[in-house]
Amino acid sequence: MDIPTLETDRLILRAPSMDDLDREILFYTGDHAKFVGGAKGPFACAQGILARIGHWHVKGFGAFHLEEKETGLCMGRVGPIEPYGWPEREIGWSLMPDATGKGYATEAAQRIRDYVYDDLGWTTVISLIDPENTASARVATRLGARFEKTFEHVEFGTMYIWRHPGPGERP
Amino acid sequence: MTTLTTDRLTLRVPTLDDFDPLAAFYASDRSRFVGGPQTAELTWRTLATEVGHWHLRGYGRFAVEERSSGKLCGIIGPFFPLGFPEPELGWDLMNGFEGKGYATEAARAVRDYVYGTLGMTTLISLIAHGNTGSEAVARRLGCVEEPEVFTHERWGELRVFRHPSPGELA
Repeated sequence: MDIPTLETDRLILRAPSMDDLDREILFYTGDHAKFVGGAKGPFACAQGILARIGHWHVKGFGAFHLEEKETGLCMGRVGPIEPYGWPEREIGWSLMPDATGKGYATEAAQRIRDYVYDDLGWTTVISLIDPENTASARVATRLGARFEKTFEHVEFGTMYIWRHPGPGERP
Repeated sequence: MTTLTTDRLTLRVPTLDDFDPLAAFYASDRSRFVGGPQTAELTWRTLATEVGHWHLRGYGRFAVEERSSGKLCGIIGPFFPLGFPEPELGWDLMNGFEGKGYATEAARAVRDYVYGTLGMTTLISLIAHGNTGSEAVARRLGCVEEPEVFTHERWGELRVFRHPSPGELA
């Protein structure tokens, strides 16, 4: 399939690319990734990009990489994803360490939520958030999502399920 | 995308339908030489990675079907992830398909494809210490072990078996 490209005021939302590997490695160095599985080496980062591309092809949807229009740099990744073991389809987001505090997660997730509702025809979607990830919870709140219940993941432990407003309830 | 056939096997791009037998393999101790055992969650990611490799590189490891049963019997093909010294020909047989010569049969067809169609001029196979089954396949395929081992972030120390070149096979 051809992976689509979406756009917002400040971002291009596009297919994951191996050109983003250095940014991916930056994200997975140190404790930036503590809420999404923890630090990884370069090989695991590269495999993560491959898995993200593979997800698109096996599921027909998948995570976008966020390219900042101003710099051309990859600033993060935003779902939709539904790997094995997920309770249902989710929009997940994670930003590079130098991309936080600019509203990029909200900007991208809002556009992608419109995409899954309007282009893919979904009628509901969740976000899975680590209970201690207050920054991500703030993004979910800004998007109008509400805490629904907890979910236990084999690898990531306890996660909070936040449910987004449906297609007709969007703020 | 590409499909290859041999006497007993059909080789095609992996799909989500291959998940159950792959998860059974990676849940078993038989996967200990290739990074396992691992959870079904990780195996799903492994499968997505195999498919992603096809799309990024234009080639990848094939899902190998036993034609008589339609069952997945192996994941076999060229693999060139970050950090590998050169493209590798890897073979993992699913549970219950050992001892039939399927790895050798599939790998031989894949090697012809890699040299003939993809135009590669060298191939290695990386094999963990103690994986005697895999080593036997490499020897059957005419591989020769190199003196130096290769150490990888995920798989640790691996023995390097070099395949005959296209010229040596001609």
